[in-house]
Amino acid sequence: MGSEAAGGNEAAFQPSAGEHKWMQRAFEMAKEALQNGEVPVGCLMVYNDEILGQGRNEVNETKNATRHAEMVAIDQVLEWCHQNGRDHAGVFQRTVLYVTVEPCIMCASALRLLKIPLVVYGCRNDRFGGCGSVLNIPADELQNTGNPFKCISGYRAEEAVEMLKTFYKQENPNGFRGAVAVRGSQKK
Amino acid sequence: HYIMGPQHKRRKTEETVPFAWEVIPVLSDEKSQDVKLLTAYAAPIMNKKETSRLVKEVAALYPLSGLQHLKRVRACEEKSSPHPLEIILCLVSNVKDHSDADTVVSLSDLFSDRNIDCSGLGEPFLVQVPAHPPLTRPQFEKASCHWPTSFHEDKQVTEALTGQLFSTEEKAKMQGYMEKAIRTAKEGENKGMELVGAVLVDPNTDGVLAVAHDCRNSSNPLLHAVMVCIDLVAHGQGGGAYTYKDYPACTFAVMDRSHCTLAEKCLISIDREDCSESEDSGLPYICTGYDLYVTREPCVMCAMALVHSRIHRVFYGISSPDGALGTKYKIHTHTDLNHHYDVFKGIMERECQQLFLK
Ligand SMILES: [Zn+2]
Ligand SMILES: [Zn+2]
Repeated sequence: MGSEAAGGNEAAFQPSAGEHKWMQRAFEMAKEALQNGEVPVGCLMVYNDEILGQGRNEVNETKNATRHAEMVAIDQVLEWCHQNGRDHAGVFQRTVLYVTVEPCIMCASALRLLKIPLVVYGCRNDRFGGCGSVLNIPADELQNTGNPFKCISGYRAEEAVEMLKTFYKQENPNGFRGAVAVRGSQKK
Repeated sequence: HYIMGPQHKRRKTEETVPFAWEVIPVLSDEKSQDVKLLTAYAAPIMNKKETSRLVKEVAALYPLSGLQHLKRVRACEEKSSPHPLEIILCLVSNVKDHSDADTVVSLSDLFSDRNIDCSGLGEPFLVQVPAHPPLTRPQFEKASCHWPTSFHEDKQVTEALTGQLFSTEEKAKMQGYMEKAIRTAKEGENKGMELVGAVLVDPNTDGVLAVAHDCRNSSNPLLHAVMVCIDLVAHGQGGGAYTYKDYPACTFAVMDRSHCTLAEKCLISIDREDCSESEDSGLPYICTGYDLYVTREPCVMCAMALVHSRIHRVFYGISSPDGALGTKYKIHTHTDLNHHYDVFKGIMERECQQLFLK
């Protein structure tokens, strides 16, 4: 089951062939991260059928709590624009984010500021989610915060949640705290 | 359960160096909203001796569930009143639907087929009673105009609302930090940046940990002054994601927090936040216990970045159109989020305003 958060209408997730391909790729990334003891979030930024950014959570190594996978992926797109002499505003307006977990409020706001048109994600993020769970940043009335964007959610949601549960069980022997947080791993 | 607290003492120095600005707390909606009212039936108690029996019997029949803040009985306001006390019988919604909510009933309508001795009670009348327990003194004072309530006063909130939370000395420090933020904003402007400045401070030591101007007009449009400040603090602890060699006005202090105890980091919050969780996980919640000064209200991205970083307090100059700490959202008090922080606005308001009038 899926929904279009920005429109508020429940609708079955009917990914295009491209969306399906990129979400599969994002899930592979998340699985790899889990195997390496990292936060199992897969995140891709795709422009013109090309991956320009694939972020992983870098909170620990940077000691910067804002270095979520999405922010890292955004920086990779910026770097690509810089290398290729492209105007980042034009690129972001045609870039789609594929991510296994709903972006948090901060990342959703960043995506909105960059005027990204579409975010496709897997499971909800009940603790921090900015695309409908805690706040609905893509749809809210914010004249000075970029553009509203569309969300498609629910892609392999159970699987995305399971990976997070597995990760937080490893992290916290006392059990899963209901955390669907995009945070750093303590493991090196 | 006291109604009027003891006249609270002014701990802070009273002599005032005139500041042209005030520190205004940005409280949660529950703390800043108007008092909501419910309509109830009350009745005079004609014979004072019947009071305790009446309270017991009426409460058994019509418990005020969820309204424990309401005093069941109040003394009559007018000294000349023929009866000394009045009692809440029940909410109108307990006995009626909305269509005829405003009509007065008689005692027999309320107690007709029930086992209650109405002797000593006068005829019912309608009153407005506060729907929620008052959380601040202004709410308490407004609520009390309608019907007496209990009030568990949070002294820090009261002091914040009356401008007494911070001493002259503390306000002088705030001014120093905000002046630095304004100066830095201007340095950023020389580099073609938006006029926003931010300073991150450790209030335990008065140490300035990071100073930043906005860098969003650089190659990275997300480098708002607050995001820069957070990253500079990370640099100060051996981390960081960006370099600022082109922006010499963006600086940080190298620090070692290993000697800090949890107690030092957990300052008292006016919103009574439990911050014990912050450090035990070992995750880099690097702004725990720190204060941020920023010339204008942060956007929602920056406000949430401060949640992730576990900031202690934010002081800003002026509101922003899409601001997330009072204007469009109150991210710092959002009940679904796992970290809350205190926010104050109005610091050097005029000077901060002038930055954006340029
Ligand atoms: Zn995020
Ligand atoms: Zn911002």
